[in-house]
This record gives sequence, structure tokens and C-alpha cells, in this order.
Amino acid sequence: MPGRGQNRPIPLTLVGGSQPHDPRRTDGARDWSRLMLRAQDGDRQAYRTLLEDVTPYLRAVAARCFKQAGDIEDAVQDILLTVHMVRHAYDPSRPFGPWLLAIANRRIIDRLRRETRQKAREIELAPDHETFAEPATNRDEVISDAASLHEAIERLPPDQRQAIKMLKLNEMSLMEAAAASGRSISALKVATHRAVKSLRKILRPKSERT
Amino acid sequence: MTKTPDLIDTLVDCATPVRRLRPPALRAALWLLFAALVLALLAVVHGVRPDLALRLEQPVFVIGMAGALATGILAAIASFKVSLPDGSRWWLLLPLPGLALWVSTISYGCLTDWVSMGPNGGRMGEAARCFATLLLTSAPLSIAMLVMLRHAALLRPTAVCAAGGLAVAAITSFALSLFHSLDATIMILIWNLGTALLIAGLASLFGQSMLARFAAWLMPVAFRTHGRA
Repeated sequence: MPGRGQNRPIPLTLVGGSQPHDPRRTDGARDWSRLMLRAQDGDRQAYRTLLEDVTPYLRAVAARCFKQAGDIEDAVQDILLTVHMVRHAYDPSRPFGPWLLAIANRRIIDRLRRETRQKAREIELAPDHETFAEPATNRDEVISDAASLHEAIERLPPDQRQAIKMLKLNEMSLMEAAAASGRSISALKVATHRAVKSLRKILRPKSERT
Repeated sequence: MTKTPDLIDTLVDCATPVRRLRPPALRAALWLLFAALVLALLAVVHGVRPDLALRLEQPVFVIGMAGALATGILAAIASFKVSLPDGSRWWLLLPLPGLALWVSTISYGCLTDWVSMGPNGGRMGEAARCFATLLLTSAPLSIAMLVMLRHAALLRPTAVCAAGGLAVAAITSFALSLFHSLDATIMILIWNLGTALLIAGLASLFGQSMLARFAAWLMPVAFRTHGRA
């Protein structure tokens, strides 16, 4: 219709942002293409903003293919390095997203291939395979703990040893232990208390005894 | 292990201004210009084959030459297009029409001309000169291609090497037809297809590692860190 919209105000589009390092698109998101354009011209602040901005996105892309957090981070770093090295190959007239995603996919596929090759050739060293020359390091921890506790109990004075064996190892009640040993309940309590104290002293690692 | 924020700090620190790559078609044109220069120099030094004018009147020869040249041009454009991260893989199909034309004329020549291999068909002297032309054409063109496409080492080395190798092979074959009297079919077959297969084979076998080597040599320290990542 002729004349229609003549009185309507012309919408203004902001071309250059007031913040030089933070160009945004009309939807409010940062414009990666323009950040990259500035990075190519040597604007370090724009480059930092871009790299920090794309990192969570790349992490999400990598998380689709890798499970371990370390692998994901390695892939992200690999992609960032590649982006850095081929940043001159970016054409600012084309969208940045597909360019970045293409690089990310290439690097991820390369890493997956390398991983598959390594898995086919190498066996991962599990903690179970670890062993050392010193025999003590290869002893099962639970067994060695029980053995050293029994050894320490044997070294206690006779009354303390009797109290701890009855009350702790045989799990007798104070009444039963008093009846069996012919000692008073309070004497048994004192003996047990002292026995635990002595055991603590005996079993404390050598380095802490001083 | 370096943390990602630390890596970003490092990358930002060495973010010097870079010169943007020219459009792939223009870069392919530059490479083809270099190829034309190499061929012109060879023509000056070696001289074209004596019966060129005569051969240019034969349609099969002309179509074969045009096919080789078209393959070279299209494969060069394809390799430069594919070397870009967001370049479509479909560009690899670009040289196929030229390749079909080139291979079909060789095969047609074989069928119709099979008996023409005379007693002089397999002269060793000519073969040695052919080999010299082959080296003088393919070596500088391959090096130029590797230098120009070094950034593709991290992206699509195999596809880029295959297309680049085909371009070099086709141009080399074009040069051989231009400079040497390969009248015997068997010689044409060996020198054309043999060269193409040799160069394409070498490109796929060693292209990737050569590209990585050139990339490590010409690109900054970051590549070394990256290569070991």
C-alpha cells in the first residue's frame, strides 16, 4: 500500500557497541565472529573473551564423546590450541559457530581414533598390579592391621590384657567379666581404660611417637 | 597437566595479529600460476616435443591433455577448499569429471592403438628424461602445496593430501605429454597412470607426516606442544 508506514519511526540498529571488547548480537549473545575478527587483528582482550566464552560450549561438545573429566579437559585444550593455530584460516564473512564445531569434531575424532589404537595395543596398569621390593608394602592392609593389634595386646601388662580380651575381643559385659575374673567392675573399667591408652601408644606410627 | 584457564592465558599472550588466508579459489589460482611458471621454465630449458603441432590435431590427444589439465585445476581447487575447517567434503568430488575424461582417453588410446608399440617403444634414454621431467615438475609443486596447506595438518590431512596429490599428478602428466614423445601406448599408460598412481600413493602414504613436518617447521612452538598432547 503506498504511503503505508511513512509515519512509522525507522528502527535503529546499533552497529558498533559502546563496549569495544564485548560485541553482542541482537539476541544479547556475544558475537563470536566479531570477537574472532578482532582477535585476528591482534586484540588480546577480545581473544580472551572469545576463548573463555567458547570453552563451556566446547566442554559440552567434548562431553558427548568422553566420560572422564580429564579426557574432556584434554580434548577442550586440544581444540583451543588448534583454533589458535588455524585462526588465520577463519573467514569473518562466514559464521564462527560451524567453523569452531568443524575443528572440534576433527580433533575429537582424532583423539578417539588415537584412544582406540592405544587400547588395542596397551594394557592399562591397574592399582592391583602395583608392587614394590619392600615386602611390608605388599602385605594386605586389613590382615597386617589385625596382626599388629594382636601383637600389641600381647605386650600389655597381664591385668590390662585380661580386661581388654574379655571386654573387647570376647565382647563380655562388665558383670560377666567381673564374675569370670573375680575383679571388681571399677577395677576392670580402669584396666580397660589404661589398656586402650597403652595400645594407642604402642600402635602410633614411629614418626608420631616423639 | 596445564589447566584450561592457564592455557587460555598462554594463548592470549602469544596472540599476535595474523594475516587472513585469501579465498581458496585465489590460492588455488596462485598455485596453478606457479605450476604454469614451472612448466614454462621446463619448456624453455627442454623444449616441447617435436611433434606437438601434429599431435594437437588428433582429438584423442587434445582431449587427454585437456582432461589432465582439468583434473589438475579442479583437484587444486578441491584441495584448497577442503583444507578449510568448514569446507564441505563434497568438494572432493570436483575433480571427478576431469579425471573421468583423462582416464577414459588413456584407456581409449590403449584399445585402439595397442599394437603401435614399435621396436623403439621402450627406449631407456627417453624414459630417463621422462623421469627427470617428472621430478622437476612434481617436486616443486608438491613442496608448494605442502607449504600452502600446512594449516590442514590438524584438520583433514588425508583428504587434503589425496586431492593435492591428484592435482600434482595431473599437472605432471600434462607436462610429460607436452614435453615427451610418448607414442607407444604402453609408455603413455605407464607414464600417465603410473605417475598419477605413484604420486597419489606417495601423497597418501607420506603426505600426512610430511604435512605435519612442514606445519611443525613453519608454525610456532604451539604445534610442538600440541603434537605431544
